Amino acid sequence: MSTVDVTRESLPHVVAAEPRAPRIGARSTPALVWRRLRADRWAMAGLAAIVLVVAVAIAAPLVVRLAGAAPPDLQSPGALDAFGLPTGPSSRHLLGVDPLGRDVLSRVVYCLRVSLEVAFLATGLAVVVGVLVGVLAGYRRGWVDTLLSRLMDFQLAFPILLLGIGLASACSLGRGCLGGLVQPGLTVVVFVIALASWPYVGRIARGEALSLREQPFVEAARSLGASDMRVVLEDVMPNLAAPVVAYSMLIVPTNILLEAALSYLGVGVQPPQASLGQMISDATATFDTAWWYMLFPGLALLVVVLAFNVVGGALQEALDPRGRR
Amino acid sequence: MAVATAALAGCGGGASQGGHGLEGIPGPVAGQQRGGTLDVVSHDGFQNLDPGASYFQLDYQVVYATHRPLFSFRPDDFRRPVPDLAAGPARVSQDGRTVTVRIHPDLRYSPGTVSRPVRSGDVKYAIERGFGSVVANGYASSYFGDLVGADHARGGPIAGIETPDQRTLVFRLTKPFGPTFADALSLPLTAPVPPEYARRFDRRSPSRYDSDPTVQAFTGPYVIRRYQAGKLLELARNPVWRSSTDFRPAYLDRVVWRIGVDPNIAGRQILSGRRMVNGDTPATAIVARAVRRQRRQINFAPQGNRYIALNTQVAPFDDVNVRRAVVAGMDRRALQLTRGGKVAGDVATHFLAPTAPGFEAAGGYRGPGYDFLAKPQGDLAVARAYLRRAGFPSGRYSGPPILVVGDDSDPADKTAQVVQAGLRRLGFRVRLRLLATDTMYSRFCNVPAAKVQVCPNVGWLPDFPDGYAWLFAPFDSQSIEPENNTNWPQLRNARVDAAIVRAQSITQPAARARAWGQVDRIVTGLAPAVPWFWDRTPNIESRDVQGVIAQWNAAWDLSFSSLRR
Repeated sequence: MSTVDVTRESLPHVVAAEPRAPRIGARSTPALVWRRLRADRWAMAGLAAIVLVVAVAIAAPLVVRLAGAAPPDLQSPGALDAFGLPTGPSSRHLLGVDPLGRDVLSRVVYCLRVSLEVAFLATGLAVVVGVLVGVLAGYRRGWVDTLLSRLMDFQLAFPILLLGIGLASACSLGRGCLGGLVQPGLTVVVFVIALASWPYVGRIARGEALSLREQPFVEAARSLGASDMRVVLEDVMPNLAAPVVAYSMLIVPTNILLEAALSYLGVGVQPPQASLGQMISDATATFDTAWWYMLFPGLALLVVVLAFNVVGGALQEALDPRGRR
Repeated sequence: MAVATAALAGCGGGASQGGHGLEGIPGPVAGQQRGGTLDVVSHDGFQNLDPGASYFQLDYQVVYATHRPLFSFRPDDFRRPVPDLAAGPARVSQDGRTVTVRIHPDLRYSPGTVSRPVRSGDVKYAIERGFGSVVANGYASSYFGDLVGADHARGGPIAGIETPDQRTLVFRLTKPFGPTFADALSLPLTAPVPPEYARRFDRRSPSRYDSDPTVQAFTGPYVIRRYQAGKLLELARNPVWRSSTDFRPAYLDRVVWRIGVDPNIAGRQILSGRRMVNGDTPATAIVARAVRRQRRQINFAPQGNRYIALNTQVAPFDDVNVRRAVVAGMDRRALQLTRGGKVAGDVATHFLAPTAPGFEAAGGYRGPGYDFLAKPQGDLAVARAYLRRAGFPSGRYSGPPILVVGDDSDPADKTAQVVQAGLRRLGFRVRLRLLATDTMYSRFCNVPAAKVQVCPNVGWLPDFPDGYAWLFAPFDSQSIEPENNTNWPQLRNARVDAAIVRAQSITQPAARARAWGQVDRIVTGLAPAVPWFWDRTPNIESRDVQGVIAQWNAAWDLSFSSLRR
């Protein structure tokens, strides 16, 4: 990344030259990251898109009301033609309606909410599980590492979609899975996606923990009598934050797509709750006569995933010193 | 017969809107060609191809092309069954307790099975095995349960079926329901099954006669040459079938059935491709496209009804006022639009469809006059009034969430969502589960123990043209079964049961039709379900296909359809 910032490493060159030089202090990691991000126009555009999407998702009811659209679940048979087929964009329904006469704009707005909710929750869950398992494996090594690493390998060997379809189908019957803890619909999707994602985080966490446990400051802490728990919490975890955050940003769009795929296949979010994947799947029935029904949810999905990918990539670069240009 | 949910389906007599090119049976009419291969494309697969177990519209298309029950129907006439395996009409005794049938003398089974001619004992065995758990026929107890000894039949001999010689069958009944019984002889359960051949398959449960239908002993114009469940079925000519013994022309040499194709993709392939017809109902968009642009490639056949079953044995629908509230609050016009609008059928006001005997007596198109069915678009004021009567002072339901189990394929999933919205308007919190058709039926709606409160995607096709076939299985308490249940609302009402018995014993057709109309009025008044649609099933064909619709099944009749010259 092109940057002229002054960091701790470059300090001697500057300070030695001029005794009355302005006082120079070290920047915190967030400040550094922000500075690097600001220099990347694509990243800033992506960030702006994310902020906009998050704001729209949070204020979905207000946005729908301001747009003069009907609530997302309101079925308007009057907006269908004589065959029960949806009608296109009009002054009343800016992005047209779906086959049940529901406003597409309104549903897309609420879909963003679902997509982000699933993506953040599933990613959060995957990060928590992945970091815990990864750190335990990397820090303890030995048979614990072997066992947990094989578990991650085993999990990674499964085709994610197939696993998701199987689990989601099984949990959609009766009262759900795990004694009702995983209910059909949103919770199944979050559970399935988290299940599919945590090993990736776990591998990164394990690798970092393996390297950190050999660092002099960790050895120093241990020699001073710090317990394993204290070493992990105070010395290992804080140093894991950067790579884990960077990777999390990259799996958010993957998880958004996974949710869309599961919903597309009919095992994700359940009606009447809207999901972009579900809308796109539904639209395949009418795409030659009701193009709007596929186009707008598709565009929304594209924008969200692209934005998270761009920002995730830039963030990873900004957090990784080796990535500086 | 249960209607296919994703697909439209079914039977229905009378008004013939489809079935073009049918004059001159059995010879080909102008444009019909002998020979060639027809591709049938469908989303759903078959449920049972054993004639003893078959009870589904899709299955019937194959079973009636490969087997010969005692009686069956010409594709253009659902009112009069014609002798098929039988050599002439059934004779009903004066007291209505004995029915006698003679079978055709020269019919043989397909090669590689049994080399002797078909005997009356084969029909006896076919019916008897239907009562056993290995075959588990879904209608045996409803239509054949009045045979002497059938009440404790478990697959073994039934005393009420006698075979005085190899060509004669004498059915003895415990009740004077001979006319109804004679009608039921058109069901595929009466297709012959040679016992010495089939017993080896019937030892396993379910019978291999069903799971591997290629082993069956066929008597119809076609045999099942290849079958891969959920994927493919191939019919080829039965070399021992003789056209001189049958009223079916059997123009085609081969039929290949492709299963698992999305209805929208299938529809596009059929309309723009060659030698193809639909197996189950085309998607709404395809129907609209065909009606607008390719009118010659679409036919509509009247069929059965569709309704939303409310479980009368489970709260809150054990209260008639809650049920009436739901009927009143449901927007049946919106439901109609989910299946293609007016072109695809009429908004129902009761259960007997316009083609059923007794339709007018049941109220005709206007309906029986109940306030909760007065407005097709739903009437929230009436609904709230009924909910107040049921003990919900606010006029909104405030009890625990209810379980609704529907079909996940297009357009049934839309129907289920309109039902969900209608229930929510009345205050119900709805747990909607959309599942594959067979899962919906076999694990939920057909199983009373599953305690599903609402099944929004059910409907009924009559098995033969009589009010009994319309109303007994869906609403008589005797038809409630622990599995394969067809009384989805699980209605147990002494008045309904008594009215059914009364109507069943009337032999004079007009009086009988009126009596069935009366049964329908009683059932509709109890609101065990929301009747919302009287179907007209669309069927589509490629340009070079001369399809013939079997009006009794509202689907292509494979023994009459052909390619065009």
